[in-house]
This record gives sequence, structure tokens and C-alpha cells, in this order.
Amino acid sequence: MLATRCLSRPPRLGLQVGRTVGAGGSVERMPIIEIERLCKSYQVYQKKEGLWASVRGLFRREYRQVEAVRGIDLTVEQGEFVAFLGPNGAGKTTTLKLLSGVIHPTSGTARVMGHVPWKRENAYRRRFALVMGQKNQLWWDLPAQESFRLHQQIYRIPTSSFHQTLDELCQLLDVKNLLNQPVRELSLGERMKMELIAALLHAPEVLFLDEPTIGLDVVAQHNIQHFLRTYQQTKQITILLTSHYMKDVLALCKRLVIIAQGQICYDGSLTGIIDRFSTDKVVTLLFGGDRLPSQWEPLGRVLEVVGPKVKLRVERQRVAQVLASLLADYSIEDVSVEDPPLEEVIADAFNQVSRTSVPGAPLDRIVPGTRV
Amino acid sequence: MPGESVHPSYIRVLLTFMRNSLVRDMSFRSNFVIESVASTSWVFMNLGFYLLIFRYTNEIGAGSGWGKYEFFVFLSTTMFINSIIEALFMPNAQEFSELIRTGNLDFALLKPIDTQFLVSCRRCDWSSLANWLVGGSLLVYSLRQLTARAENPLQIHPLAFVLYPFFIVCGVAILYSLMISLSASSVWLGRNQTLYNFWFYITNFSRYPMEIYGGTYGTPLRAVFTFVIPVLIVVNVPARWMAWPFDVARSGPLSLFAVAATLASLMFSRWVFLRALESYRSASS
Ligand SMILES: Nc1ncnc2c1ncn2[C@@H]1O[C@H](COP(=O)(O)OP(=O)(O)OP(=O)(O)O)[C@@H](O)[C@H]1O
Ligand SMILES: [Mg+2]
Repeated sequence: MLATRCLSRPPRLGLQVGRTVGAGGSVERMPIIEIERLCKSYQVYQKKEGLWASVRGLFRREYRQVEAVRGIDLTVEQGEFVAFLGPNGAGKTTTLKLLSGVIHPTSGTARVMGHVPWKRENAYRRRFALVMGQKNQLWWDLPAQESFRLHQQIYRIPTSSFHQTLDELCQLLDVKNLLNQPVRELSLGERMKMELIAALLHAPEVLFLDEPTIGLDVVAQHNIQHFLRTYQQTKQITILLTSHYMKDVLALCKRLVIIAQGQICYDGSLTGIIDRFSTDKVVTLLFGGDRLPSQWEPLGRVLEVVGPKVKLRVERQRVAQVLASLLADYSIEDVSVEDPPLEEVIADAFNQVSRTSVPGAPLDRIVPGTRV
Repeated sequence: MPGESVHPSYIRVLLTFMRNSLVRDMSFRSNFVIESVASTSWVFMNLGFYLLIFRYTNEIGAGSGWGKYEFFVFLSTTMFINSIIEALFMPNAQEFSELIRTGNLDFALLKPIDTQFLVSCRRCDWSSLANWLVGGSLLVYSLRQLTARAENPLQIHPLAFVLYPFFIVCGVAILYSLMISLSASSVWLGRNQTLYNFWFYITNFSRYPMEIYGGTYGTPLRAVFTFVIPVLIVVNVPARWMAWPFDVARSGPLSLFAVAATLASLMFSRWVFLRALESYRSASS
């Protein structure tokens, strides 16, 4: 594909030219994002109900601490595409804002490409981008083209490379004909694509994406996923992505970080999380004869029965045993054993975390040794 | 290292902002026309009001130095300064406190350019510049009257043409500092709706010659609005250089003070702005 070829130029490596030798003797890339014991708490005014309480609130205010991020440690290497998952209010957006230098932390340190983000140095701000699905940064009443031109001036992108990049991005996202339409007249999906272009014009080396596919239909989500994958692979940039759509994660990321109540509770591969949190497998059986087992309970939990096709949820350790006994007693034409859908696994993980943790107490951190 | 030495071109960014604002204003053409007409009529009504007053008197207090046409020079200076503020800084200050409240300041903080510059210059309300025409005509007309009058006609010193615009710029800078500090305070106050009332109360004092503030009530007012919140010198200093005979001994000390006050105001607003950005907490979304 022509567009893809145009996009592939050697990534700007910035600071990570030096290489360190890892413990195993293998050559590792230097971390591009290093976070240590990062904390952010907000003081929020505790509003009381009722008029009298409100009047009293004028004189004596009561505050509550919201601990949005509670001691995060994370290291990301150059070229990684990391998914940041967690239930609502887990602290994902707060972490991305801290890494973008939008807000100051309460305590802890972070370095991105050697810069402390909240110092807001121009040298740092030229090298990363943040895209937030729920907010837009383009001028509402003007065509996106005008906002892009402004970006060109702010980032001082040479005209020739500006036009080249813009052409490539427009082609990849298929929005060339929308450049001259006021942003307020674009659909949500079209606007999201424009937001992505605006964020990528200056060829950032690190990209923070906060729910870039929120509210988009399946096709638009797929387009954006495809674009992000192509772009990340050709440019080898580092991306941190948050999303509530597991499709995004499956399509894009090898590494998953799960954050709940401001703390990281899982950091590892996709398969690792299934091993860790999913205790069951989904077994699908296609029975040959009319004879079906009369009792399912000893085998597993029935998910659905359609004619001779039965879907069972079986504890992982018992899968072999269950299959063996079924195959011995019944005629079975087809068998498949699968992991439950990722959504369910993640939901299980979230539940497990919120059940086991007392607010304020440190969560068990599960970090498998292998990381894909 | 790429990018480290490259600074944004502030002039070109500013021009793009102004251009974008113009494009935007033009796409809402009727709104643009209505706004221009409304702000010009307001200025004319103001002018009519003072014409009415000068039917009953010839000057503001004997020996104050502000006769009818001197005062009209003063008035046109007010118009220049106000229209610059309304065109360049008012929409931005308003938007700034809104950006703070909604958390959209996030994006401004990401850009590799001075945030105060970005926030202060994003918008430009071109319709307010219509008042320049009114102010300009009034200034020319009043100066004609002053220089052509029979008894001791005004002689305009060539330096006045330098000092007048210079001190207008100083005045604008003082008002700008005040305004941006007020908007930045939204970071601590949450919602800051009194901003514009407060702004109106304060600038109300700047619209009259400082000589009118006298007596037991006026003197402390004059001191406060000269030395604490220096809004009184905003219009007074440039207007004196234009309307009064060139006299360094008479206008010099206050002018020197105006320069100092301008620098102090700008520094103060910068300090407030930076503190505000440190305390900025975005908004949960
Ligand atoms: N500006 C703020 N002021 C007060 N509290 C805040 C602020 N921003 C975030 N919080 C609180 O911090 C916690 C974490 O919020 P955050 O936006 O990081 O969650 P999230 O993981 O992005 O959730 P979601 O999936 O819903 O986007 C929440 O409890 C939220 O109420
Ligand atoms: Mg969020």
C-alpha cells in the first residue's frame, strides 16, 4: 500500500539511543516511560443536602480526599502498545493527564523520554500527544483544516512535511473530502478521525489515547483500530490506550495493565490475564445421537442448548476429566474448548479486585514473570 | 536533538489566530454586523450623555484642566483602550475561565508554546474594533477645536504623538493584567461569575479624569485606584499628554509611575497565571 510505505520512516529515537543489557544478558530497549509511586488525590468539597446545611457550608467547609491514583509503578519501553483497563473511576484518565503534564501529582515521580511531564517543557511537549475521546480540541466553528494549520505553526512543522503528513493521514483515515467542512457539522466518528490527525501532525513519539473509540459504531471503531495498528507498526511509536471496548484491546495491544481504585492490579500479557482471572473454559459439544446427558450439574454450568449443540462452562482443571467421561458415554461429533470472552474475564478481574480490596489497603499486585 | 531548539513563531501564530477569528466571525455575518452596530451605538449613546452634561458646564471643576474638548480627548482615549481590550482580551479572558471550569484547558497545556500567550490571544473580536473609527473621529475633531480656539490654543508637541500611543499600550497592558488575573482566579474559586461585575465596577473608575476624586471620600479612592489597583492611570496618563499642553514637570512623575505600574502589573499577572496553572486540576470526564 502506497500510503503505508510513505508513512514508514525511521522513528525519531530521541533519548533511547543508549541500550542497556538486561539481567538475562539479552539486549533490552531503554524504558521510555518510567513511573514510580505516582499518587494523585483531589480535595473535593463535600456538599450537604438542604438549605441550612448549604448556608453552614459557607462558613465551614468539609472536604473529602478522593485518591484517584494511589502509588502506580509502571515501565513502558519504546514501541510498546499498552492497554490501560479498569472500571469507571479507576484513575486511568488521571494517570494519562499526569503523564501529559496537565495536572501535578500529589507525590511520586514520572519520566517520559527523560522529561518530567508536569514541568511542561516545550522540548517534551513537542514529542508527545494526548487524544481524549470525550473532548475535542479543534475549533468548533471552523473547518478542521484551519486547526491543522494552526498546529503547523505552533509546532513549526515545515510546510512540505506538513502537507505530506496530512495527505498520508487523510488517506489512511479516508477523510480528505471533509477537511473543509466546519467541525461542528462532522459526525462523531469523523470528528474523532480529525482529532487523531491533529494529534499526529507533529509526529509524536509517545501517544496517549483516552477512549478514542467511545461512542463510535462498529465500523468506525474498526477503522480507527486498523489505522492505529498500521500507524503504530510503521512508526514504531509508543502508545498507551484506555478503552472500555475489549475489541480495541484485542486488536491492538499485547500488554495489558489493569488498574482499579487507583492501583495497578495486573500487568502482563493478554493470555496471562486469562490464565489468572478466568477459572473456567467454555466447552462446546455437538452430540451425534438423540441421547443427551440428563443431568449437567456434575459436569459444569450450561450456557445454552440449541438442538444437539450444548455450550458448557467447565472449571479449567476439570475439562479433561469431563470430556473423557462424556466421550466415553455419548456419541459426540464435534468438540471445542475455548476461553471465555475477554469482556467476561476482565469483568471477573474487576469484580475480584473490588471484592478483595479494602479502600486504602494495598491491592495484591499480580505481575506474571512473562511479558509478551 | 530534534525539536529542542525550535521555538514557535509567536507572530505567525498570532496572525493565524486573528485570521481564524475573522473567518469565524464572517461565517456568522449577521451576528457580526449586529455586534458592530450594537457596540458603536453604545459608544454614541455615551458620547451623547457627555454632550448633555457639557450643556450645563464648561469644564470639570475650575482649574482641573479638563474643559469640554479636553474631556472629549480623554473620552476618545477611553474608546481606544476599551475597544482594544474588548477586541483582543475580553473574549479570551471569558473563555479562559470557561476553559478552567470545563477542563478544556488541558489542550492548551499540551501545546509547545507559552500557555499565557495561547490563552490570551486565541480569539479576537473584530466587531469591537469598529469603535476605533468613532474614537479616531472624535479625537481629530476635539484636537481641531483645541488647537483652533481663540484663547490660548493648544500646541501639540511632536513627542505627544509618541507618548500618547505608548501610554495607551501601557494602559491596555494594565487592564489586561487585571483581567487575566481575575480569570485565572477561577482555578481557586471554581465558578467565577462575579468576574464581570467586578471588572465593571473597577473599570468604572478609570473612565473619568483623576482630578474629580477629591475630598474625604474621593482622596482615598484616588489613592487606592492609583497605587493599589492602578486603573486610574490607564486613561489619564495618555490623555494628559494629548489634551494638555506639553509639560514634563506636570505629567512626568505620574507617567514614570505608569511605566512602573505597567511592569508591576504584568509581572503580577504572570505570577498569578503560573500559580493558577500549578493548581489547575482539570475536570473529571
Ligand atoms: N478534577 C477532578 N476533581 C475531583 N475529582 C476528580 C477529578 N478528576 C478525577 N477525579 C476523581 O478521580 C477518580 C478517577 O477518575 P478518572 O477520570 O481518572 O477515572 P477513569 O479511570 O478515567 O474512569 P472512566 O473509565 O470512567 O473514564 C474518580 O473517582 C473521579 O471522581
Ligand atoms: Mg476516563
